[in-house]
Amino acid sequence: MIQFDFLGGLARVVSAIMNVVAGPVLVYFIVVNTSLLVLMGLAGGEFLRQHRRKGYAGREEAVASQLGQGVSVVVPAHNEEVVIVTSVQALLALRFARHEVIVVDDGSTDTTFERLRRAFDLVPVSREVPSDVTTRGAVIDVHVPRDGRTRLVLVRKKNSGRSDSINVGINASIESLVVFIDADSILEPDALISVTKPFADDPTRVVATGGVIRAVNACKIVDGRMVEVRLDKAWLVRIQVVEYLRAFMLGRSGWSRFGALILISGAFGMFRRDVLVEVGGLDPDSIGEDFELVMRIHRYMIDNGRDYRVKFVAEPVSWTEVPVTVKVLRSQRKRWHRGLWETLWKYRGMLFNPRYGRVGLVALPYYWTFELIAPVLELGGFVLVVLGFALGVVNTSYALMFMAVAYGYATLVTLVAMAIEELTFHKYRRWRDLGAILMASVLENVGYRQATAWWRLEGWWASLRGRKPVWGTMTRQGFGDDSPAVAAMSRDV
Amino acid sequence: MNVGRTFLIVGAAIGLACASAIVVVAIAKLRRGRVAARSRAMLAPYRHSLITMVSGEDDDGQAREALSAVSAPIWVRLRPSVVAFLPKVRGLPADNLGELMRAHGEIDEATRRLTSRSAVRRARAAYLLGLVRDPASAALVLPLLSDHVADVRLVAARALGTIGDPAAASGILDALRTQNGQIGLPAWVAAEALLAMGPGIGPVLQIGLASKDPAVRNVCAKVGGHGTYLSTVPQLRVLLATDSDGDVRVSSAVALGRVGGAHDAAILLRHTDASEPTVLRRTCATALGDLGQHESLEALAGLLADDDRRLAERAADSLVRIGPEGIVQLEMAATTGQGLSAQAAGGALEVAGLRGQLAHIAMGS
Repeated sequence: MIQFDFLGGLARVVSAIMNVVAGPVLVYFIVVNTSLLVLMGLAGGEFLRQHRRKGYAGREEAVASQLGQGVSVVVPAHNEEVVIVTSVQALLALRFARHEVIVVDDGSTDTTFERLRRAFDLVPVSREVPSDVTTRGAVIDVHVPRDGRTRLVLVRKKNSGRSDSINVGINASIESLVVFIDADSILEPDALISVTKPFADDPTRVVATGGVIRAVNACKIVDGRMVEVRLDKAWLVRIQVVEYLRAFMLGRSGWSRFGALILISGAFGMFRRDVLVEVGGLDPDSIGEDFELVMRIHRYMIDNGRDYRVKFVAEPVSWTEVPVTVKVLRSQRKRWHRGLWETLWKYRGMLFNPRYGRVGLVALPYYWTFELIAPVLELGGFVLVVLGFALGVVNTSYALMFMAVAYGYATLVTLVAMAIEELTFHKYRRWRDLGAILMASVLENVGYRQATAWWRLEGWWASLRGRKPVWGTMTRQGFGDDSPAVAAMSRDV
Repeated sequence: MNVGRTFLIVGAAIGLACASAIVVVAIAKLRRGRVAARSRAMLAPYRHSLITMVSGEDDDGQAREALSAVSAPIWVRLRPSVVAFLPKVRGLPADNLGELMRAHGEIDEATRRLTSRSAVRRARAAYLLGLVRDPASAALVLPLLSDHVADVRLVAARALGTIGDPAAASGILDALRTQNGQIGLPAWVAAEALLAMGPGIGPVLQIGLASKDPAVRNVCAKVGGHGTYLSTVPQLRVLLATDSDGDVRVSSAVALGRVGGAHDAAILLRHTDASEPTVLRRTCATALGDLGQHESLEALAGLLADDDRRLAERAADSLVRIGPEGIVQLEMAATTGQGLSAQAAGGALEVAGLRGQLAHIAMGS
């Protein structure tokens, strides 16, 4: 009897809520998926433009340039012994007229330093690291290769976090462009040429560029170079591949085309050094430091009346490991959403502020509505519909309609993303990989989306409760690069 | 009932769209595979001839003849390879590839397309004419420097640089002017193009250094230094001392370091003063190393203790590059100097030691 009353009461509550939100929930999902399609349309247009320009882009000229801008590649590394040698080797071998690699060892407790020391024959030097940007972690020492000419610098410092390590790297850098790269990333040989192109074409206005990041898991790496793109067997990874394709490649390209890119991934972003110094580098207290930095640059440039551009390069440039366990994925998504919330809140003054143009009037409202609040509506809608259906207050037609616009439409968006990828970059050559991606775009809606929505809410809640942010540890699998060169370089450690 | 019908329509539309996307993926993949296989098969008989041409071993001209005679469908597939080779080869192979393009009517077609309504076609045409380095094309490409599309202007400037006709130099400088709030050409692209034109641009540089437009003065100062145009030195001195634009002063300092004489050490040193902008101070410290004059030794040693540690680092590096006397200054600073200067000097000496510069100097002295 009590149970009946409880269920009856619950049914009345769900019914009352559904009476109010049934329509808006459907509209929300239609709008969010349609907006993604619009962004993809913009991205498709941008890809087409870049593809047409390819014939006369002058990439070879850029490599041979005497006067083009140099690049400092900053790699923060904390306990990266599994990947660091391969990663640095690949970075040094990048095709570019003038670049240096700066590894900032952020107080590693594993053999990261020792492996680097042996692999590149590093010796200590009394080189000073200037304080252009304020930093926290004390620099212990600086090492360079014994030949004195290989453009590699290793700065060892006390552990103070990734952002502070990058700030130390900015201080140690000497070139006019600085790119941040995670140690577990592998770059395309022409990555620097691709990402510096906007700076070269419009050097006075372009202040930052981002590049496409893709999942490296299971890909074949030889001598620090990507030689075969493969899809991991784990569905968790496959679904993330689909996500990266949709959100990182197409979503950000679309925003860039629209002229309101507000997020450049911390795993691969290039900035003008002078602008980084002017804005004070990365905020070591921010958990969404990449997003926060780009927002700060937008605000700074607009407040100072400067004409500027933040661009996204659609060509795949960086391959990075994505989480292979639920635990790590959960931690990552919690952190991302917390960072999103804290940054959006910090820059709430820019929201709907016409002074900030498209950033304030379009991009920020979009991020508030469709990125920050999305997990609430996604999870709330799902729970209400399932519960309402079970209690008999939601009819089959509505439930099916909800599934169609929330998940069916989302699957369509992903398939369109996949079609654009196949028509443009077609990185996945094997039929079975394409089949698996197709499958993943459907499976993503069964459990994965709901789980990530929950984790994102956890991250948001943790921030609201003022809990101390936790970065978590990304367990590296390594690149599986057993080529003789890398094996020899890593030996005896 | 209505919701049910709507669902059917929406569901069917989504399902159909999903199926279409899958079909697009499958067709794109199949088609690409077939096109690639067909191209490979069609080009296989000609691959050897092309390699013979680009490696400069086509002494009897047979390879060029064979490739000139290929049918239009084969040329369409062969053309991208020829275009891809063009920027990578010089001399006879480049000339032969250019002739091959001409034989297939590509030069005439590109010339026609310079006035196309499509910006992409104009840019592609200019790029191709630049690649084949035909001097007769310079006059045809020149008008594109004032094209309303930035991409076209940029490609035209590069093409003119590759063609290397100094008569186009003033056109490049004119194209630097800002149009509708957009820069006409990136400075480095203009400078690279001018440098590629060789010594004939000297008089144009002198006019450019006196231009009212800071973008033009900046590029001319860069080219004056990188191209070692000694005739520009007097103007560079004036620009470094008096120009209202910071970039022009920096470029003039770099150029003076490369082409200046003993007299210029004092001028550059003056601009390492703490009252000058940081960028200019650092640039002058580096330029003093390029200049390599003994007159700057003590002043550079004095900069080792500067609060701007990047400036100190550059001063130390310049002392190394000046040679044995600079090294002596560094050794003195490292052993007897105060904390900051000893640190900068010690670091520079260590790196110089790793590079073998100290041993070389010891042997020389």
